[in-house]
Amino acid sequence: MREKIKEIKTSALQEVASATDSDAVEKARIRYLGRKGLITELFKKMGSLPPKDKIEIGRLINLLKEDVSKALDEKASSMSGGRAARAEKIDITLPGIAPEIGSTHPISKTIKEICDIFISLGFKIVEGPEIENEYYNFEALNIPLEHPSRDAFDTFYIADKLLLRSHTSPVQARFMEKNKPPFAIVIPGKVYRPDATDASHSFMFHQVEGLAVGDNIRFSDLKGALTIFAKRMFGKTTKMRFRPSFFPFTEPSAEVDISCILCSGGQKCSLCGGKGWLEILGAGMVNPKVFKNVGYDPQIVTGLAFGMGVERIAILKYGITDIRMFFENDIRFLRQF
Amino acid sequence: MRVSYNWLKNYVGIKVPAGKLAELLTMAGLAVDSIEKKSDDSVFEVEITSNRPDWLSYIGVAREVAAITGKKLKIPSIRHCEGTKAIVSPSSQRQIVVKVEDEKLCPRYTARVIYNVKVGESPDWLKKKIEAVGLRPVNNIVDITNFCLFETGEPMHAFDLDKLSGRSIIVRKAAKDEKIKAIDGTERALDESMLVIADSDRPIAVAGVMGGANTEVGMSTKNILLEAAYFDPISVRRTSRRLALSTESSYRFERKVDMDNIVYASARAAHLILEVAGGKRGEFIDIGRQKKDKRRVSLRFERLNKITGADIAPSRAKAILTSLGLKLNSTTKAAASFEIPPFRQDLQDEIDLVEEAARIYGYDNIPGTVPQVVEPGLNVPFGIVVDDKIRDVLTKMGLFEIITYGLLSKSSLNSAMISDTDAVEIKNALSTEQEVMRPSSIVGMLKSIRYNINRKSRDLRLFELGKVYFKNGADTFKESRNLSIGVTGQVYDDWMGRGRSVGLYDLKGIIEALFLELGLGGFSIEKNTINDTFSPVVSSFIEVRGEPMGIIGEVDAKVLNNFDIKDKVYIAEINCETILRFVSLEKRFQELPRYPSISRDISIVVGNDILNAQILSSIKGTAGVILKDVQLIDRYRGGQIPDGKTSLTYRLEYQNPKRTLEDKDVQDVHSRVVRALETNLGAKLR
Repeated sequence: MREKIKEIKTSALQEVASATDSDAVEKARIRYLGRKGLITELFKKMGSLPPKDKIEIGRLINLLKEDVSKALDEKASSMSGGRAARAEKIDITLPGIAPEIGSTHPISKTIKEICDIFISLGFKIVEGPEIENEYYNFEALNIPLEHPSRDAFDTFYIADKLLLRSHTSPVQARFMEKNKPPFAIVIPGKVYRPDATDASHSFMFHQVEGLAVGDNIRFSDLKGALTIFAKRMFGKTTKMRFRPSFFPFTEPSAEVDISCILCSGGQKCSLCGGKGWLEILGAGMVNPKVFKNVGYDPQIVTGLAFGMGVERIAILKYGITDIRMFFENDIRFLRQF
Repeated sequence: MRVSYNWLKNYVGIKVPAGKLAELLTMAGLAVDSIEKKSDDSVFEVEITSNRPDWLSYIGVAREVAAITGKKLKIPSIRHCEGTKAIVSPSSQRQIVVKVEDEKLCPRYTARVIYNVKVGESPDWLKKKIEAVGLRPVNNIVDITNFCLFETGEPMHAFDLDKLSGRSIIVRKAAKDEKIKAIDGTERALDESMLVIADSDRPIAVAGVMGGANTEVGMSTKNILLEAAYFDPISVRRTSRRLALSTESSYRFERKVDMDNIVYASARAAHLILEVAGGKRGEFIDIGRQKKDKRRVSLRFERLNKITGADIAPSRAKAILTSLGLKLNSTTKAAASFEIPPFRQDLQDEIDLVEEAARIYGYDNIPGTVPQVVEPGLNVPFGIVVDDKIRDVLTKMGLFEIITYGLLSKSSLNSAMISDTDAVEIKNALSTEQEVMRPSSIVGMLKSIRYNINRKSRDLRLFELGKVYFKNGADTFKESRNLSIGVTGQVYDDWMGRGRSVGLYDLKGIIEALFLELGLGGFSIEKNTINDTFSPVVSSFIEVRGEPMGIIGEVDAKVLNNFDIKDKVYIAEINCETILRFVSLEKRFQELPRYPSISRDISIVVGNDILNAQILSSIKGTAGVILKDVQLIDRYRGGQIPDGKTSLTYRLEYQNPKRTLEDKDVQDVHSRVVRALETNLGAKLR
């Protein structure tokens, strides 16, 4: 029996090796492994063996079968064809059929990204109404009604003293009236200003506002927090610049610039105009008058505040060229985010 | 304001080149927006914040440059110019009469007479300066008043003295129906709130805004009256806004000019007029408040560093503030008190001094630290959590988020058959596109769909999250979270040709999947409704626990026609404010079933009037507790099915949580289910 096994192995491997086409390989397969194949027959003869040999011989036949199968498979796949050739060959270059995945609007995406950065710094999100009254939109924030500082806040009115908020800052005052420091909040939302619409102006846009109040909040904290924000939002190598400025609700106040994301300054850059810097937000220390308006003692608490236009951030981050695209909702635009 | 580098050098020694100076100014708070390079000069466009009217003058900017570069400020001397004190002739000899009727709106008025001037073209040096600030040279007298406006920050106006009726100046409110033709040639109607300068007959200038054409200085002018005054900022602002006329002059009065600098400015202008146009000095009349404002403000050094987080030494802080023109009044180890110069109206409190010290110390030199405030507990409000969840679920299902305008026209609402009676009106809209706040986001959805179809993108699945707004009684308003979903075009469109048009059930499926993800138990979309925006036969309320939360339907053909959309569009609008009450995002694990389930299909033919809901309710009512799930897997009309009938196949899944079901357990129940369908709904088994 052992002889026989050896013999079949030699002849089978030889036959497989010398096969020149897939037909020959198939013939060999049938001859050895088919229903009446030589190896199959060996298994059938097992019954007549004395029990003591059964295990050993069985093992040998199994090994033989494995060797021959393996040789057959290898031969078949080495020839371009084999069994695979009999099935219909697919055109693997046809396009895959993918389910479409939607996308969130780049403005929602940017708001979330901004808020997430500040949440990681210990802030929490707060919301407020879009329909506001003059007090919260202006007076509470130390913006006198008839003062040039209001020029920056042209406002849509819906009734006497009722308006569409022209910035998210009124939520600061609303929140402070109802809560005690210390706290750190960010306020995302829509704002409205009667601006003629063009590539860089829109009568509706979005802002994210930030406010942290405590007994030891300093201008240096404002710098630190905003630097972390800018680096996470625009990349590790982003540089920042704080320029003195004026806002009625903060003092000291600053305009915050980041280094141009396209150029390194001094060139004719379409984005920064060669200045090398891009304005991204306004910030400052909460004006003591604002604290008084909400019933805080400015001798005890200090606070930092900042506000940014989400469209502006998204335009810079994604290289968008026209603010109107955010509200046209062209699917070819939306698919890119 | 346009600031010429060369001109600025007249008042302060500048050693740095223009580019460097621009950077220094920018970092001190005078943002240089652009630099215009000329062959022999550079002109900066400087953005000046509304708290710093003193910077609206070359001397003011030079003072800042002197402070930041440690140089000395050089103010042109008026020593040789008489008339810094009022010359009041005995009334019998008076050549002119000046009367201020409204001292509140004009607390100080000066008038200076100069005789026999020779009006003509300005000399080159003057023309150059006038052009540098972006104005057009007119004649030597007008150019000098403009020059001095930019040099000193004090707007002035020259009248042709001989054209003043009664040789008089009266500062008063305009009378009803009075008019004035200003020097820009436009006639403007005045009202009683506006302050004017008048002669004995008529208004000759809108105070602080613009002079009148009738008394303007021209080539034939011989004698002039030079006005330098202080007008109330709010009054000038109102008048300027009401007349829609903003001038270099009104811009400065609105921001408060330096009342104590008026006489200097007038003398300086007179000096230049005599030099350039010749002539002889006449009377100088100075009416009103002349008391100097001697305000004192103190700064605590510890406070300075507590707010900035920097380590600014007291000596440094004092040096900075004195370099800005503040006078050190007294000092201790802990604090210093300063006398505030009259040109710094903005410095009122300690915090203003903190800002000045920090500004000149340099924001760049203040370190960066991390705020030590950490919010415990929930850091995202539930509304935003749910919005984010909705975005997540819908985008996974292949929908794209859109954002549309919150303001729109009444006509666009009407086109969508949405009533504008409860829409909140905008009182000062710039265009009809901003007439009202949206009471529904359907219009925005339809516009976005049209926009895309017009650009050949026809297969659309869009959603918008945002607020809608309503009137809620007289002058009370409501805003509410809202979700709209719109679908149109093909469901799939691949090369295997499996494409089909999207339908109402696709939209319904999206909402069902969304509601399940939001954990909204007990919702139904089963009640037909009539709504003008939607097709009367293909629309339904969306209800959660019996409360209407929204509407779904096929947009009515007439509405689509109004929006010029040819394809079918399905829209759902959902009140997210109400839905928030029912959302549950908490997940609980449920033990997986231990025993296998058995599936059985039922194929029946029923009349077309039988609803799926009726069939389901019959099945559920008769199958009892072992029915785990039932799904419609096929629905068919036509072919071998007789007219008026529908063939339906349901797959029922039976399961017993306590043991393995046997065929016979299911058989009994299943036959009961079939019998009930036959008797209750006239179903025939296929």
